[in-house]
Amino acid sequence: MATTATFLAPSGFSIQGWSAKRKLGRGRKPWSIKAQQQQQQLEQEAAQSQGSIPQLQQEQEEPLQERAKVQQQPPQPMAKNKNMSREYGGQWLSCCTRHVRIYAAYIDPVTHAFDQTQMDKLTLILDPTNEFAWTPDTCQKVYACFQELVDHYEGAPLSEYTLRLIGSDIEHYIRKLLYDGEIKYNMNSRVLNFSMGKPRVKFNSSQIQNA
Amino acid sequence: MQQDRLSDWLVKHELVHRSLGFDCRGIETLQIKTEDWDSIAVISYVYGYNYLRSQCAYDVAPGGFLASVYHLTRIQYGIDKPEEVCIKVFAPRNNPRIPSVFWIWRSADFQERESYDMLGISYDNHPRLKRILMPESWIGWPLRKDYITPNFYEIQDAH
Repeated sequence: MATTATFLAPSGFSIQGWSAKRKLGRGRKPWSIKAQQQQQQLEQEAAQSQGSIPQLQQEQEEPLQERAKVQQQPPQPMAKNKNMSREYGGQWLSCCTRHVRIYAAYIDPVTHAFDQTQMDKLTLILDPTNEFAWTPDTCQKVYACFQELVDHYEGAPLSEYTLRLIGSDIEHYIRKLLYDGEIKYNMNSRVLNFSMGKPRVKFNSSQIQNA
Repeated sequence: MQQDRLSDWLVKHELVHRSLGFDCRGIETLQIKTEDWDSIAVISYVYGYNYLRSQCAYDVAPGGFLASVYHLTRIQYGIDKPEEVCIKVFAPRNNPRIPSVFWIWRSADFQERESYDMLGISYDNHPRLKRILMPESWIGWPLRKDYITPNFYEIQDAH
């Protein structure tokens, strides 16, 4: 199953690092979301994402690049496609590989509305193509790894380069889980090409140097 | 002899340069200091070299200098073998700044941006010096000899 988890980036993440290279005058709104509200939203989203997993699975069959229409949905009634067009600077920070997609935006788990104004949040979409068979435990492991990495990278400039470093570290972690046998390939996936190595007999991650 | 003419001319006008001899095609090579490069570029344009054939840069040695190389030639009608010269400017690694020749030869525009992107040599007075090949948010200078590629999954391992 593939799920979405939204994490709050620590306040150390700043756009200041590389913003000198971008043109001035791109309106970037200051973030003014209160911490309590954020915590509430996070809990609600966690409850939603765990409670409606079959529904999400179905929804995630559609290509995620589709932009959702404006809808009024809890927990973020005002969330809609924002800041995606060129007038807002088109700041679309993302890192996409086959199993990990990280966006510097808030993506509503139900409506898939992208809200780019909330750049203090990073959204992780895990394995949208269902190459592996996920259980809630293994999903939580990956989320914990993601949270750890985000804490580790606190203070780095918010740029695609940093998001790609985080995404690559998560991919390496997923590969380590695969080699340790904690996740398996999903034999019913649409594209079964064993992208992280063909299945081997009696193999674990201690047999390779840098897993 | 056609070769050495620029070198003689410069010596005659007492401009500091150092000749690096000839390369395999017989093109004379000169080394110019960074602080003289501004004036010598203008002088060579006035002398007749109106075409910057290419500008490239390379890393001389790990911990050493960064070199910026300019191939100049003169475009004329009816000439079989135009005069050419190759000029190298060496910049120190900790603060590599070289005056830009954009305002003299326009073809240096993208080529100096590429040298900046790959080696980190920053060109003063270049109007839009930013990364041209790597993504804008890249950190590091990829063609330096001491550059280590970060362990991105999609570069190393993805199928």
